[in-house]
Amino acid sequence: MKRTLAIVLALTMLLSLAACGGGKIQTDPNRLVIWHDKEDAVIEALSAYLEEALPGVEVVFEKKTSLTDSLKLVGNDPNSAPDLFIFAHDKIGVFAEMGILSPITGLLDEGVLEDYLDMTLEAASYKGTLYQLPLYFETLMFMYNRRYMQDEEVPATTDELLAYMQANTGRGRYGFVEQHSTAYYSAAWIHGFGGSIIDSAGEPFTEPEAVKEALRYHLQFVELMPGETEYATVNTLFLEGKADATIGGPWMVPSARAAEIDLGIAPMPVVDATGMALAPYSGVQGIHVLKFAAENKAEAVKVLLDALTDPQVGVSMALASGCAPANSKCYEDPAVADDALVQAMRETAQIAVPMPNIPEMDVMWTVTSNLLTDVNLSGKDVDSAFDEALKEARNLIANMK
Amino acid sequence: MKENVKKKKGRDWLFSYLWSAPSLLLIGLIVVFPILYTAYISLTNMSVYHWFDYSIIGLSNYARALFVFDSGFLGALLATILWTAVNMVIQLVLAFVLASLLNIQKLRLRKLYKTLLMFPWAMPGYVSILLWKTGMFNTQFGLLNQWMEKLGHQAVRWLSSDVSAFICCTVVNIWLALPFMLMIMDGAMQSIDKSYYESATLDGATWLERTRYITVPSIRPIIAPAVIITVFTTFKQFDVIYLLTQQMGAKTGSGLHTILTYAYENAFITNNYGYSSAISIIIFVLLILFSIRYQSPEEGSA
Repeated sequence: MKRTLAIVLALTMLLSLAACGGGKIQTDPNRLVIWHDKEDAVIEALSAYLEEALPGVEVVFEKKTSLTDSLKLVGNDPNSAPDLFIFAHDKIGVFAEMGILSPITGLLDEGVLEDYLDMTLEAASYKGTLYQLPLYFETLMFMYNRRYMQDEEVPATTDELLAYMQANTGRGRYGFVEQHSTAYYSAAWIHGFGGSIIDSAGEPFTEPEAVKEALRYHLQFVELMPGETEYATVNTLFLEGKADATIGGPWMVPSARAAEIDLGIAPMPVVDATGMALAPYSGVQGIHVLKFAAENKAEAVKVLLDALTDPQVGVSMALASGCAPANSKCYEDPAVADDALVQAMRETAQIAVPMPNIPEMDVMWTVTSNLLTDVNLSGKDVDSAFDEALKEARNLIANMK
Repeated sequence: MKENVKKKKGRDWLFSYLWSAPSLLLIGLIVVFPILYTAYISLTNMSVYHWFDYSIIGLSNYARALFVFDSGFLGALLATILWTAVNMVIQLVLAFVLASLLNIQKLRLRKLYKTLLMFPWAMPGYVSILLWKTGMFNTQFGLLNQWMEKLGHQAVRWLSSDVSAFICCTVVNIWLALPFMLMIMDGAMQSIDKSYYESATLDGATWLERTRYITVPSIRPIIAPAVIITVFTTFKQFDVIYLLTQQMGAKTGSGLHTILTYAYENAFITNNYGYSSAISIIIFVLLILFSIRYQSPEEGSA
C-alpha cells in the first residue's frame, strides 16, 4: 500500500514537472496577445473599441502584475511572450537595449503622429527611434481641498505656498503634504530650479548647483510636513481632510471623489527664484511591439496600430477612466473638453518632463531617494550628501555595463 | 546465505535511492541548480546591454565585486552579525520562557495560548511587516505615537535613526520568528520523560536546578537544528529591514543595512546579472564559512 502510494506520488511529481516544460507556438497571424498592467476600466474601453473597429483580428488582453520581470524572462521567446504590451514609457531603454522591442515607425502610416503632443513623442523615443505608440499620459498636479483652501488662496508661487503652510500647519493639520523624499515627486522641485536627475546621455545631476539649491529651498517645506514620505500616509492625510493641499496624480482623483472631497486642481506653483513652474515627471502609457510579432504578424500589427491612432480611442479612455490622451485631436471632443481633470493634465503636459527612459534611470531612483532621505530625514549636510550621491550614481552606472 | 544478504543489501541501497529520487530531483532543481546557474552567470557579462547574447568573460565580475566589499560593506557585515546575535539570544530566551510556561502542569486553556502564539506564523510575512510599519511605527497614525500623544509627548519618528530602526526591526523579526522556535522548544520539552522531574523533586532539586540539569541538556539535541536554521534565516534576513526602512518610495532615513540590503542597493539594482551573481556567490561562500564554524562544535557535543 505504502509502496503504491509512493510510486503514485513520484509519478505525479514527474508529470507535473514535465507539464511545466510544454508550450505552444502562436502562429495564427490574426490573433494578437497584449500584456498590460492597467485598470480594468481602461482595458474595457480599449477592447470594446477594438472589437468594433477590427472584426478580423482577435485581440486578447492579459493582465500581468509584474510585467517588466516577465518580459525580461521571456521577451525573446515567441512561445511565451506576448505580441505587444501596454506599459509606461520609462522602460523603453531597458527593453530596447535587451533587443526585444521593434521600432514602430515602419508599422505606422506616414503623418498619423502629427497631432500627437510633443511631450508624448519625446517620451516614446529612445536614441532617436520611436518604440512606442503613445495612448495616454499621467502627470502630477496641484490638488486642494476646497473646504479648507479657497480658490483665491491657491498659491501661485512657491513662496506663497510656504507662507500658506506656515499659517495652516500645526495641531495635527497640514497646509500641504507631498511625498517629499521620493525621487518621483522631488523631480518637480529639481526641474523648477533648472536641474535634472539624469540627462539623455546618462550623465547624473548635470546641474549640481541647481539640484543643491532645490534641496536647500525644499527643506523648509519638508519641515512643515510629516516625517513620512510614503504614499499611504500622504494620501490618507489628504483624503481624511487633515491636509489642505497636495501634489498627486490622476490616480488620486477617484479616491478623493469617493471621500467626498470638493477637489480643486490648480497649475503647479512657480519657483520665485527662477520664474519656472514646478515641472513634474510625466509617464506616457502606450503600446509596444515585440520583434517577433513585428516580423511575423506585421499585417495584423499594422492594422491594430492604425486603429489605435484614431482619436476615438483616446476619447473613450478619457471618458472611462480620466486618462489624458496623447493625441491632441481627442481634446476637441466636447465631453473631453468639459473634463477639468483631463484638461488640467493637458496644461501640465506643456511643462512636464517625460521620465528619462534610458536604462541608467533605474539606479537613479534609488540614488536620488537616498540623497533626499539623507537631507530631509537624517539631517545631513546638503553639499556632502550630494557629493556622495553623485559618486554613488557614477559608480552604479559604471557597474551596469 | 551470505551472498543473499549481500544482494539484498545492494537492492535496499538501490531502492532507498529510487524512493528518494523524486525528492532528490526536486531538491536538485530548486536548491542545487539555482546555485550552479548563479555561479555560471557570475562568469558571464549578462546585463541589460547583453541580455540574450551574453558570453563568458571569466573572473572579472569577481574582481569588480570586491569593490562592493568596502567600508560600507564591513559596517553592514558587523551590523548583520550583531543583528543575528541579538535576535538569536532574545528568541531563545523568550521561546524557552514561554515554552516552560506552556508546560506548567495545571495550565488551563493551553490550546488557546498555543494557537495565539502560532498566529504570527499563519500570516504572510510581507503583510505582517507592512502592518507593523503602518499600524505601529507610522508617525501619523501608528499606535505608538498615539500613545505618545496621549501621554503628552512629541511624536517620534521610530524608523528614522539607526539605533531605533534596529530595535524596531528586531521587535518585528522576533514577533515573526518566535512561533517556530517556540513550537520546537515546546515539542522538545514534552518529549522529556516526566519521571526525571519527579525523582529530581523527590531529591529536593529546585526549579532552577531541574532546568539546568534536566530540561536544558534534554532539549539541546532537538533544538540544535532549529537554531542553525534560524541563525541562517536571521543572517540573511532581507524582508524585515527592507520593507520597514528602505522600501522604494517609503524610505525612512535610517542607514541600517545588513549585507543583503547593502548588496541589493549597491549591485542588484544595476540589472547587471553577471556582477550581481558574483556578489551573491561571495555572500554564499561567506555563509557557508560561517555555517562550518558554527556547526562543528555543535556536532561534537550532540
